[in-house]
Amino acid sequence: MKEDKSKISRRNFFKKGAIITGGIAVASAFTPFDAVLFATERPKGKGKWYGIGIDINKCIGCGNCAKACKLENNVPEEPFYFRSWVEQYTIKKDGSIIVESPNGGIDGFKQSVPDEEIYKSFFVPKMCNHCAKSPCTQVCPVGATFESPEGIVLIDEKYCIGCRYCVQACPYGCRFVNPAKGTAEKCTLCIHRLKKGLQPACFEICPTEARIFGDLNDPDSKINYFLKNHNCMVLKPHLNTGSKLFYNALTSEVR
Amino acid sequence: MYQHIKRLILAFAIFITLFLVARYFLKPKSFGELGHYRALAIEENAMKELHYAGSENCSKCHDSIRAEKAEGLHSKLKCEVCHGPGYKHAKFAGQFTNGELPDSLKLHKPIERKECAKCHQINAARIKIQFDTIDNSVIKQIDAMKHKLMSKKTKKEQKCIKCHNPHQP
Repeated sequence: MKEDKSKISRRNFFKKGAIITGGIAVASAFTPFDAVLFATERPKGKGKWYGIGIDINKCIGCGNCAKACKLENNVPEEPFYFRSWVEQYTIKKDGSIIVESPNGGIDGFKQSVPDEEIYKSFFVPKMCNHCAKSPCTQVCPVGATFESPEGIVLIDEKYCIGCRYCVQACPYGCRFVNPAKGTAEKCTLCIHRLKKGLQPACFEICPTEARIFGDLNDPDSKINYFLKNHNCMVLKPHLNTGSKLFYNALTSEVR
Repeated sequence: MYQHIKRLILAFAIFITLFLVARYFLKPKSFGELGHYRALAIEENAMKELHYAGSENCSKCHDSIRAEKAEGLHSKLKCEVCHGPGYKHAKFAGQFTNGELPDSLKLHKPIERKECAKCHQINAARIKIQFDTIDNSVIKQIDAMKHKLMSKKTKKEQKCIKCHNPHQP
């Protein structure tokens, strides 16, 4: 036992330690790590890379998007299963914030706070953010959910085991487990419509064109025009999810 | 070489071979082609049924309504915003003559007051003054409790479409 200990002397230990740390420091100088670049990194492929834009200023809270989504994708009718929904934020003069979403906005909104008490009120449509580094796909134990090469987060219904990890992982609450199928379900950006050259249902149906989607890789696309001309922000940027749903006029009250 | 090392190597070799054989048979087709998932799942997701047809399909038959709508304030609205999903209607309704259309293919007629109110009921969150800076269009808002016409016969509220033509409001 004594011999084993003496093999690595204190001097040797420090020597080796200094060589390893010095080596790492020198190597990292050649390729500096840039957190901002890492966060905004896009795949190197030339294909489509979808992004979504929502203009909060334009949304009138008609709830047509939530309704269209349910009808197009056969989402369960119960008022707590949504792939797309609308929330009304009301900031009162006393500083309190009220968030309402009766049946996801499908039946329309009724102003619950009298005009005199309101400082500000607006609608926020919500849906899957189609994150580039999505927390929900990283936790799947069977590889049943994934980001497609076009940047759409999808679910493989045949391989989903319904463990609900992804429902917990999504910071935006955009997933649920379909009670009939027992598998997780979420917005597919209506990929069945995209492949046929149609717009996703909620974009097709928006009466005020508050929703925009397009190819982020195409410099002339609608979404790039939208991003260039508005002060856009994503939800929960501190989580570094690589969200590709950009809101115009998003305020810090929105969670 | 020691006996126990040999045994260990043999055990590992057997284990790895078994694993590779099992993997060959158990791995789903197309798994790993694009990443840690079945590439075919993208196709399966894309095969789902359509419900919304898109307004271009509507104007193939209803071109008169399209022309009527183009002049009004609702010109930007797609048909299916109010009439609901119409893919089946667009696909099969052409086979029937007027009046024979089965109920399953008929589209929704939004005639109730609440359907107009979805967009036009006054609400603090609906921007009233200037809606879009490009063409200065404004979403007109009314208080459905006050802005109404009572029927003399039934003593009930009249429908909005009594006065307003939804295709050309």
